[in-house]
Amino acid sequence: MADMQNSNVEIMLKDIGMVYKTNDGHDVTALTGVSLDIQKGEFISLLGPSGCGKTTLLRIIADLLQPTSGEISIAGESPRDARLSKKYGIVFQSPVLYDWRTVKKNIMLPLEIMHIPKAEREDRAMKMLDIVGLTEFANHYPNQLSGGMQQRVGIARALAIQPQILLMDEPFSALDEFTKEKLHEDLLRIWAKTNKTIIFVTHNIQEAVFLSSRICVLSPHPGRLSAVIDVDLPRPRTMDIKDTPEFTAYVAKVRNSCEGI
Amino acid sequence: MSVLKRLSKSKYFNTVLWIVILIIVWEIGATVVAATKRSPENILPHLSGIIESVVSKDTINGSQTAVQMVLENAKATISRALVGFGIGTALGFVLALFMSRFKTVEKIAFPYLMIIQMIPILGMAPLIFAITQDISKSRIIIAAILTFYPVATNTLAGFKAVEKEKHELMISYAASKFQLYTKTMIPSCIPYFFTGLKISAPMAITASILVDTLQGGIGLGCLLSQALKGAMSRYVFWQIVFLSAFIGIFSFLLMGIIEYILCPYKRKGNKQEE
Repeated sequence: MADMQNSNVEIMLKDIGMVYKTNDGHDVTALTGVSLDIQKGEFISLLGPSGCGKTTLLRIIADLLQPTSGEISIAGESPRDARLSKKYGIVFQSPVLYDWRTVKKNIMLPLEIMHIPKAEREDRAMKMLDIVGLTEFANHYPNQLSGGMQQRVGIARALAIQPQILLMDEPFSALDEFTKEKLHEDLLRIWAKTNKTIIFVTHNIQEAVFLSSRICVLSPHPGRLSAVIDVDLPRPRTMDIKDTPEFTAYVAKVRNSCEGI
Repeated sequence: MSVLKRLSKSKYFNTVLWIVILIIVWEIGATVVAATKRSPENILPHLSGIIESVVSKDTINGSQTAVQMVLENAKATISRALVGFGIGTALGFVLALFMSRFKTVEKIAFPYLMIIQMIPILGMAPLIFAITQDISKSRIIIAAILTFYPVATNTLAGFKAVEKEKHELMISYAASKFQLYTKTMIPSCIPYFFTGLKISAPMAITASILVDTLQGGIGLGCLLSQALKGAMSRYVFWQIVFLSAFIGIFSFLLMGIIEYILCPYKRKGNKQEE
């Protein structure tokens, strides 16, 4: 626990392992020996092919899964305590909105559960809608929105509880390329504005390079951390950066470290 | 030609076509029945005869016209069906809730639900009458039993259809079990619940009428069996048949209307472009 003295470490993973038991009694190792320190305010991508355990790792951090070995601490707390004190905002691949609630009420849902007074709930929901640029759609129902807008609502809802850590599980993989690029820029803008620690699961190398401050490459069979790459591209990043040789060089570097996986 | 084409595209074209065909077939049948001397003509009367009996002011039992009598009996049957339907719905919903909350309850209760559903009503009715000793109560209970099953199974299916991610969201909000149900599970299962209601509402009515026929007293089924035995005008029989069909269809539509009112999100379309 010596790392704890470094006050900038938000998430500390030490030798995390996850072994599942299949129905016929075999052990399947989903993750083994994952150690990683994540600084406060970092944008970390967990990158890798399917089956590399990236989503499993995210779910372990979120306290939705318990690792079978290893230690994990969230700013000195256990993941469970961090969850109970609402430190996590989660965004899934599908927006998982509540059909029967308007956009604004969807964002207010976690606040209702936290027993936050109505006036503040409204206030916070409108602020979040402003951040994701959907103010005029506050009273629409989710099925009236496009896929990209629905995912924005999902992000606004995750931010509404004012979490320190935003966990995103392939949030844009179901969207078309144009919408995705727009949301990338929006997400970076929100990240800069709110100063959250973001953990972003993806299998898209370009996406990881464009967004992240650090990329953790995971490889499968068994799932393990095979490379950690710092991305020192200037910020604020815009779409134009994708045409620079530096960007292309990072993409090549990450791709190389994925090769042989 | 173009008029026909436009007609065939109209929303109501199918419905109108079916009604017209039905009337034609009926009238041909009625004419054939009238032509065979041996069968009583009112086994399949002309539709005009039925309509005439509806508007007729002649009393058939000294004090009431045919329509007054049918409506009075319908009131009794419908109110019994309604009470049974209400009880069955409430019990079905609560049981689904328990089955979803506690796996053991589901394992214990579910197979027996199937069995109850498989016993024919006509076999169940005398048993329940023997237990309750009251025909009116028995009729309510039978309507409740028939309502219960579709509501319970559909609602349970609704609870099970809630996405894993919604459960995980609630876990990440540290929601209590109570909040999980009030905020997520129960609102999610409403469309499934209404599917159950749409199946069971006409069943409760049909069952009520059927169980009416087993004993005397007041009720559409009682009147129906009297009419069949010739103790009453055959036109009363046909009035009941049409009225029952109408009530059944109406009860189904009514559930749809209530769902439409309760779920405003379902009727808003117009997806936004990216």
